[in-house]
Amino acid sequence: MAAATEVESETQSDTRADAATAVADPWVTIVWNDPVNLMSYVSYVFESYFGYPPAKAQKLMLQVHHDGRAVVSSGPRERMEVDVQAMHGFGLWATLRQSGSSDGGATGLDGGAA
Amino acid sequence: MTPFRSAPAGYVARWDDVEREVLGRVARDVAELVRAESGLEPGIEVGDGVAFTGVARVPQDPAVQRLLPDAHDEDADVAAEFRHLTQTDLAAGKVARLVTFADAIDSPDVLPDDPRDGAELVVPRESAQEFAGALTDVRLVLAERLGLVDDADVETLHDDVLAGLDADEDDDLDEPEEADAPDEYAGWERVGLTGSERRYWGGVFVAAGFAQESLVDEMLADLRAGRAGA
Repeated sequence: MAAATEVESETQSDTRADAATAVADPWVTIVWNDPVNLMSYVSYVFESYFGYPPAKAQKLMLQVHHDGRAVVSSGPRERMEVDVQAMHGFGLWATLRQSGSSDGGATGLDGGAA
Repeated sequence: MTPFRSAPAGYVARWDDVEREVLGRVARDVAELVRAESGLEPGIEVGDGVAFTGVARVPQDPAVQRLLPDAHDEDADVAAEFRHLTQTDLAAGKVARLVTFADAIDSPDVLPDDPRDGAELVVPRESAQEFAGALTDVRLVLAERLGLVDDADVETLHDDVLAGLDADEDDDLDEPEEADAPDEYAGWERVGLTGSERRYWGGVFVAAGFAQESLVDEMLADLRAGRAGA
């Protein structure tokens, strides 16, 4: 596991820094529920890619499962495009959105404070 | 098929010949589907920089639309621009890992003395994420073909497949196809599979899920153990 984890470490620390300044970040990455992806796999993606601790990954995973979606990261648009592409690579259904638009922003603050 | 277990060489499971053959064939079929639907030219390698030169065709097949989805649910311009910039790389990556997955299960690491034991597959830790990702894409495409649209559909299919493991096959012979369509499973009726097709592909879907779940459980345990020890 070491090799794969080291590759992600830069992304992890960057994304953590983004989460800390979520209020000022204009864009968010949203992961949507689907009936196929396993809960354990979604947790694995949130822990390995974003570097979230298990409790936060699980909270976001359950939010996706029960609410149909969750904001999983926030930051500049370019960074969110990288995250969305990575989620699509993992097979998760993800979109980006400006955090102030419609209700994406409110959910974003919840996700960022988790 | 046995669950994946963590071992020094990687994650190890035993798959029967028929399980390896069917999952390998499905993975190659999905790879071809993604290649054709996304407009990938044959022979494109990942990392060629093709994202900036390839023409990203919007997939028409709903299963491939799920693998290469719109990146914005409201703004079509943002979605189109994202697709233009990323789809070729994303599709090429999925094709490559599906083929790698099929190659790996085609040539297992240890053939059994008794074929009934199944061949031993060893997934090295550094390639486990790609292996799990290939299983995800296979399961997403099978789910679309099976008409699985919500959690209840998946649960019903699981129950039916597991119940069918020791059920006989004769309902195919003398019952009309509608007869074994449970009312609650509208998805299956929508896609128009026969009972035997649904059992077959449902069995493949459940087997792929079993393999993925046991693999991911071990990957997650290793990931957390690595963090704790760091």
